[in-house]
Amino acid sequence: MSLPWPGSAGTLAAGVRRGDWSAVELARHALARIATHDGDLHAFVDVQTERALRQAQQIDAARHRGEQLGPFAGVPIAYKDNLALAGECTTAGSRILRGYRAPYTATVLARLEAAGAVLLGSTNLDEFGMGSTTTSSVHGPTHNPYGRHLVPGGSSGGSAVAVAADFCPLAIGSDTGGSVRQPASFCGISGLKPTWGRVSRSGLVAYASSLDCIGALARDPADLALWLDVVGGPDPADPTTRPAIAAVATQPPREHLRGLRIGIPWQLNGPGLDDEVAAVAAAAARTAASLGAELVDCDLPGVEHAVPTYYLLATTEAASNLARYDGVRYGHRREALGRLDSTVTQTRSSGFGLEVQLRILLGTFASSHAHAAQFQRRAERARAALQARFAALFAQCDVVLSPTSPIPAFAADAFPDDPLALYLCDALTVPQSLCGLPALSIPGGRSQDGRPIGVQWTAPADHEAVLLQLAAVFRAHTDHHLHRPLP
Amino acid sequence: MPNPIEFDRNTIQHLAELARLHLTADRLPVLHQRLQRLVEAFGAVAGAPDPSADAAVHPDSDQAATTPESLRPDLPQPPLRQDQALANASKTAGGAFLVPRVIDA
Repeated sequence: MSLPWPGSAGTLAAGVRRGDWSAVELARHALARIATHDGDLHAFVDVQTERALRQAQQIDAARHRGEQLGPFAGVPIAYKDNLALAGECTTAGSRILRGYRAPYTATVLARLEAAGAVLLGSTNLDEFGMGSTTTSSVHGPTHNPYGRHLVPGGSSGGSAVAVAADFCPLAIGSDTGGSVRQPASFCGISGLKPTWGRVSRSGLVAYASSLDCIGALARDPADLALWLDVVGGPDPADPTTRPAIAAVATQPPREHLRGLRIGIPWQLNGPGLDDEVAAVAAAAARTAASLGAELVDCDLPGVEHAVPTYYLLATTEAASNLARYDGVRYGHRREALGRLDSTVTQTRSSGFGLEVQLRILLGTFASSHAHAAQFQRRAERARAALQARFAALFAQCDVVLSPTSPIPAFAADAFPDDPLALYLCDALTVPQSLCGLPALSIPGGRSQDGRPIGVQWTAPADHEAVLLQLAAVFRAHTDHHLHRPLP
Repeated sequence: MPNPIEFDRNTIQHLAELARLHLTADRLPVLHQRLQRLVEAFGAVAGAPDPSADAAVHPDSDQAATTPESLRPDLPQPPLRQDQALANASKTAGGAFLVPRVIDA
């Protein structure tokens, strides 16, 4: 039987379980496609061919022995290069971790492998996840399959391109301030940031721990539901994980959106938006209404402080988390003056890229004795205020609609020397991160020149199911997900 | 509004020392200019009305995330073996991490 490529993870796994095709066939197909197209795109940092084929052979052997196969049986999956896989390199896109081999496996990857997934290799990212373009990696930039001059978004740009280019149906990313949702939007696919604590971070290279979430990117939101069921839930290795919720993938599908109240805060749906982005979000609202949803105009005061709040808190945590990179126990080292203190300083200065150094300095400033009261503490209170305002908003509606990014994918040189302008593009994704809320970006349309534009749905904590059900209804009634950039 | 932050090169050099960074001659002016711009812009949150809400240290302050159920059993677990712990180090000797001298002779 011919492979249904590109197919959903659920379809591919079902075929492996039935014996319609083998896990090895799927792995070989994925690897061949990567070999053909990834020289141009550079989604992958490390393609783990031998390991992937070995895993696939084990899946096929288990089937021949009559063993029960998991929900991701034989499905090729890519993962972001800030996740640990025992024996493989984890660099977080940084020179300071070049050559580091993980001594253990991240919980999210271990659970996927236990469910039968075949890991293809690690994908590119902005250094330590600090960016929205996938251009700051020590491995070089990743390119958008919708135009090589365009960024794929970031920081999970490699994972987004791996799915958009049909190298695999699902890829793992991480989202601290939008790093799954924004690249999903830029590459015309779906991306889920779960509730903070839903998915274990054990084995994730830490950036900002009160914000970091592991998420996933896929063409079919049903695969995101399957992924969440497999990897979500408590983990003894991560005490910040939340109690289990009901399985999402097996919930009955919705045929319509009747009874669903969709909140549309004007602050997230008007000011500063590109005209085509605003039009796509408005069209999504009309589609939702035509499917029976009730649209609720609402207010989210204080959200204008989300970008500074996010950057002050994220960088404060980053300055602390990245203090561990001293060149002593692992990673890059540059010795200086035969002294430990000089060696640590030179190691960090030569190991971290410009953007990472900028964020460490900003976080050091914001949390310093002289300025913490004015910056870090105020930001913490602004975060608490925003949480209270989202809670009030969810008394009026079930989900919130906004675009994912104020602009579609842009050229890599669009923001020279102006980090602030780039940071402001995160205005629609950082509020959910600050509040620990689940959010999902799905394809909503395209610009006149063909760039994908995503729309974002946000729900209260632990309500991922409503987001994924809503996405399935949209998928059934629209065709934005059908376009593919590569033959 | 709070007073504007004086942000000269001495300030950034001091921050770099706190963060264990040595800023190279080519990076110093770039980082100085960018940091200045960010601190000025982010002063808006510093000047925002102080909300009555308490500061959040956790994004999910309604539910304490660390519940007894989420903690692992109080059983000692084996750490990395010595060879695993040393495997990624730049220099080792005699089963230890080797670093340049810490105390001046």
